[in-house]
Amino acid sequence: MRKRLLTLFSVLIVGAMLLSACGTTTETVIETVIVEKEGETIIETVIVEKEVEAEIQPVTLNWNWGTEPPTVDPSLATDTTSVDVAGNLFVGLTKFHPVSGEVSPYLATEWEAGEDADGNQTWTFHLRDDIVWVNYNPVTGETVQEVDADGNPRFVNANDVVYGAKRTVNPETGSDYAYVTYIIKNAEAINGGDEELTLDDLGVVALDDYTVQFTLENPAGYFPAIAGMWIIYAMPEWTINEWGEQWTEAGLIVTSGPYSMESWIHGGELNLVKNPLWVDADKVQIERVEGVMIVEASTSFALYENHELDSVGVPLPEMDRVKADPVLSLEYYSAPTPCTYYYGFTNNKPPFDDVRVRAAFSQAIDRQLLIDNVLKGGQEVATTFAPPGIFGAPVPGTVGLGFDADAANASLQSYLDENGMTIDDFNALDVVLMHNTSEGHARIAAAIQQMWADTLGAEVRVENQEWAVYLSSIQNSSPLADMPHIWRLGWCADYPDENNWIHEVFNADSGANRLRRESGAFDALTVAAAQAQDPAEREALYLEAETMLTEVEAAYAPIYHYTTVAVTKPWLTRNYPPLGANDFFNWTIDFDAKLAAQGQ
Amino acid sequence: MYRYIIRRILQFIPVLLGVTLFTFVLMRAIPGGPFDFAGDRSLPPQIVANLEAKYHLDWPMWKQFTSYVIGDDIFGWEGGSRGVIRGDFGPSLHFRGQQVSDIIAVTLPVSAQLGFMSLLLGIIIGIPTGIIAALNQNTWIDYISTFGAVFFLSVPNMVLAPILIWIFALKLGWFPVATWGAKPPYLLGFLPRLEQLNADYFSHAVMPVFALGTAMAAGFTRLTRASLLQVIAEDYIRTARAKGLRERVVIGLHALKNSLIPVVTILGPAFATMLTGTFIVESIFGINGMGKHFVNSIGNRDYQVITGVTLIYAFVLVIANLLVDISYAWLDPRIRYD
Repeated sequence: MRKRLLTLFSVLIVGAMLLSACGTTTETVIETVIVEKEGETIIETVIVEKEVEAEIQPVTLNWNWGTEPPTVDPSLATDTTSVDVAGNLFVGLTKFHPVSGEVSPYLATEWEAGEDADGNQTWTFHLRDDIVWVNYNPVTGETVQEVDADGNPRFVNANDVVYGAKRTVNPETGSDYAYVTYIIKNAEAINGGDEELTLDDLGVVALDDYTVQFTLENPAGYFPAIAGMWIIYAMPEWTINEWGEQWTEAGLIVTSGPYSMESWIHGGELNLVKNPLWVDADKVQIERVEGVMIVEASTSFALYENHELDSVGVPLPEMDRVKADPVLSLEYYSAPTPCTYYYGFTNNKPPFDDVRVRAAFSQAIDRQLLIDNVLKGGQEVATTFAPPGIFGAPVPGTVGLGFDADAANASLQSYLDENGMTIDDFNALDVVLMHNTSEGHARIAAAIQQMWADTLGAEVRVENQEWAVYLSSIQNSSPLADMPHIWRLGWCADYPDENNWIHEVFNADSGANRLRRESGAFDALTVAAAQAQDPAEREALYLEAETMLTEVEAAYAPIYHYTTVAVTKPWLTRNYPPLGANDFFNWTIDFDAKLAAQGQ
Repeated sequence: MYRYIIRRILQFIPVLLGVTLFTFVLMRAIPGGPFDFAGDRSLPPQIVANLEAKYHLDWPMWKQFTSYVIGDDIFGWEGGSRGVIRGDFGPSLHFRGQQVSDIIAVTLPVSAQLGFMSLLLGIIIGIPTGIIAALNQNTWIDYISTFGAVFFLSVPNMVLAPILIWIFALKLGWFPVATWGAKPPYLLGFLPRLEQLNADYFSHAVMPVFALGTAMAAGFTRLTRASLLQVIAEDYIRTARAKGLRERVVIGLHALKNSLIPVVTILGPAFATMLTGTFIVESIFGINGMGKHFVNSIGNRDYQVITGVTLIYAFVLVIANLLVDISYAWLDPRIRYD
C-alpha cells in the first residue's frame, strides 16, 4: 500500500515538473482532501495540478497573528489570537462596536430583559435570518453554503446558539472559559458535573427558529455583553459531531462569519478568505488575510519595514526611533486597551496588614514617571481598577491614590511611630516584591523599587519566578510565609462591565482573593451592583466599591492602563477594537498603493 | 560488527524508556499544571478539574505513564492512547485538538532541513580551515583562522541573526527577512518538494544557515586544528615521513583520518541538536521549526509535547552516536568491536 502511494507520489511530482516545464497554464498546488483509506476517513494534503486563469491578485492584508492560535474552536478559545481568528470566522449574538466599545447588534438585531415564572431574569434575543453556514473548499476555491439532510440550505438559527452554549457548559468539552457562562441558570452546577442536572436544564432555550432566550441565576444588566462572547457563538453541531476535535481544520470547518478559513499550517501560517455569501459581502473590501505567526517582535517589525506586513506592534527597543523617524512617526498609533497593570498587596501579611503601609507604598509610585521613562508607549496612569470605556469605571483621576510623596511619607511615618519603629526596623522585615520572569516586569519592578527607596526610604527585595510557578506561589491557598508581600498581575476585559473587573477579580467571597482580604462592605457592594437594575444606581455602587478598595482599604496599587502601540502602513485604514476580535471586514486597503510600494 | 550493532540497538529500548520516565516525572514535579491558567489569569478549580479529567491527568501517575507508553486498549482503560510504542505521542495539552505526532510531522522536517544545511556548511568550512591552520601553525594563516573561529564562536546568534537581517534583508535587499521556503506536504515526509527547491527556497535559507553554520564551523576549526597538531607529533607520523612518503600522503592518508576522531565524536550530538531544531535562530527568522516546542512547552506545561520532542531528540541522538561509534572502526584500525 505504502509503496504504491509512493509511486503515485513520484509520478505526480514528475508529472508536475513536466507540465510546468511545458509552460502551460497548469500549476502544481497543494490541496487538502478528504479520502477513504483502509476503511478510515482521513484528511490528507496532496499535490495536484490545476488550471489557473490569468491572475488577478485579490486585495490582501498581510498580517502577523504573532503566534499559533492554540485553537480556533469558540468553546475552547481563551487567548487574544484564538479569539481574533474565531471572531472573524463566526458571528456572536452581539458585538462590541469597534470604536466606541458599546454592545451593538450582530447576529441578534434586538434584545430585551424579562422575568420568568420563578422571578428569574431572562434575556430574549431576536436573530436575523439571513446569515448562512458555509464551508470553504480548498480544492475548488469555492465557498459553499451548507445544506441539511433534506438538501435545504442551513441558516444560523436559535438552535445553533443553544447548541453552542450547551457545548461550552458541557464538562466533557473542557472549556477554560466556561466560568464566564456561570451567570446562566444551572451552568455552574452542570459544568461542575452535578448528576441531578442534564444539559437540557441549562437556562437557554430556542423559543422559535430565530428567537433565543437565556434565563439567569441573578439579574445581570451586563448580559448582552456576555452574549457576544465567543464561548456562546452559534456553532455547527453537525460538523462538530462528524469530525470531533478535528473540525476546525481547513477544509472541514463550517463557519458563519465574514471570513472563511483558506488554509492553516500549524505554527506557520493561517490564511482567511472573504466569505462571498456573507450578508454584507459587498461592503467587505479585504478579500484575503495572509497571516503569518512570527513571535519575535523585532522580526515582525523588520517585515513591516520591508513592506511584507501591513500593521504590526512596535517593539520597545524601536520605540524611540519610531517616534523620531519622519515616516514612521506618522504611521505610529497608540490606542488604549482595556487592561490594567497592578501590584497586589498581601493584606494579612505584616507589615502590609496595616492600611497605612499599603497606602504609603501605593502613593509613592510615580506612575507618570514610570510611563514616560520605562514603558514609553503612552500608557495611562491608573488610580482605580477598571479603565475608561468599561461600564461603571470612575472618571480617571477622580478616585484612588495617585502619586503623593508627602502623603506617602506621612502615612508610613504614622505607622512607624505607632509601632515605635524606625525605617531601619521596617527594612529588617525584608519586604519582598515578586513578579513573573520577564524583562518588561523586571524593568518596572526595578523602577518602582527605586521610587520606594527614594520616597520612603523603604528597601524592597525583588524576586521573580517562572509564570506557572509564580501563579501557584501567589494563590490564596499557598502558605503565608511563602507569599510575597507585593506581587504583580494584570487584568484585561472579557466584557466591558465593572462586574468583570472589581467583582470577579477582587471580591473575597467569589474571586480568587489573592489579596487575602477579609470579606466586608466592599464585597457586599459589588454583589449589589451586579444585581441592581438601574444603570445609574449600578454606576454609583461601583464608584463606591472602587473608592473603598483603592482609597479606603488601599488593598492593591493600580499602576497603569495598557495601550496597543502599532505602526500601520498608509495604505491600510484600520481601527483598534478595544475588545474582541479585529474586524478585518471593516478595514480597507488602497491596494494599488500597496503594490506600488512593494515594487509590483 | 553486526552483533555489536544489534546489541546497541537493543540497548536503545531501556535508554529511551528512561528518557521518557525522566521527562515525565520531571515535568510533573514542577509546580503549576497545564490548566491552572489561561494566558494571564488563573482558572477556577472546577474548570481545572474538568480539563484534567478530559486529558486523564486525574489518573494516578503510574497509570498515566503506562497509558502514555503502551496505550489504553491493552488494559481496557477508557481513553484513546495507543502508546508511544505504536507512534502515538498523545494530544497536545496547549494546542487543543492537535496531536503531538502531527506537530512533529509539520515542524521536524523544517528543522531537519535547516539543521542539515547548517551542519554541512559547518563541516565544509570548519574542517578544511582547521587543517590549513594546523599545517601552517603560527603563521598569519593560522592567526586569521583562529581569530575568525573565536569571533564566530563568541558572537551569539541572538546578536548575529538580527544584524544579518538588518544588513542583508533590509539595507541590501538580497535575501527575504524571515520565514522558510518549503511548506508541507514534504517529499518523503521531510524533504522540500522538488518544485520548491528553487532560488526562493535557498534565498530563504541563506541567512539562518549562515548564522547556525558559522558557529558550528568555528567549533570544528578549533577542534580539527588541535587534533591534527597532536596527531602530527605522533611516532607513526614520524615513521611515515622517515619511510620517505610524500607529505601529501602523510597528512592526507595517515594523519587526517586519525585526527578526525574528536571531530566525529562531537558530530553525533551536533547532528541531533541541529536536526531537531534551534530555538533562537528559528524564532528570529520566523521559521516554523521544532525548536520552539522544546522551550515553550515547558512554560505551557504541555507534558505530551515536551516528552514527545525530547524523545525524538533522544532517538536521533542514540542513532547518531551509534553511527559515530561505527565510524571509529573505519577511522582508527586499532578500534575493534568484536
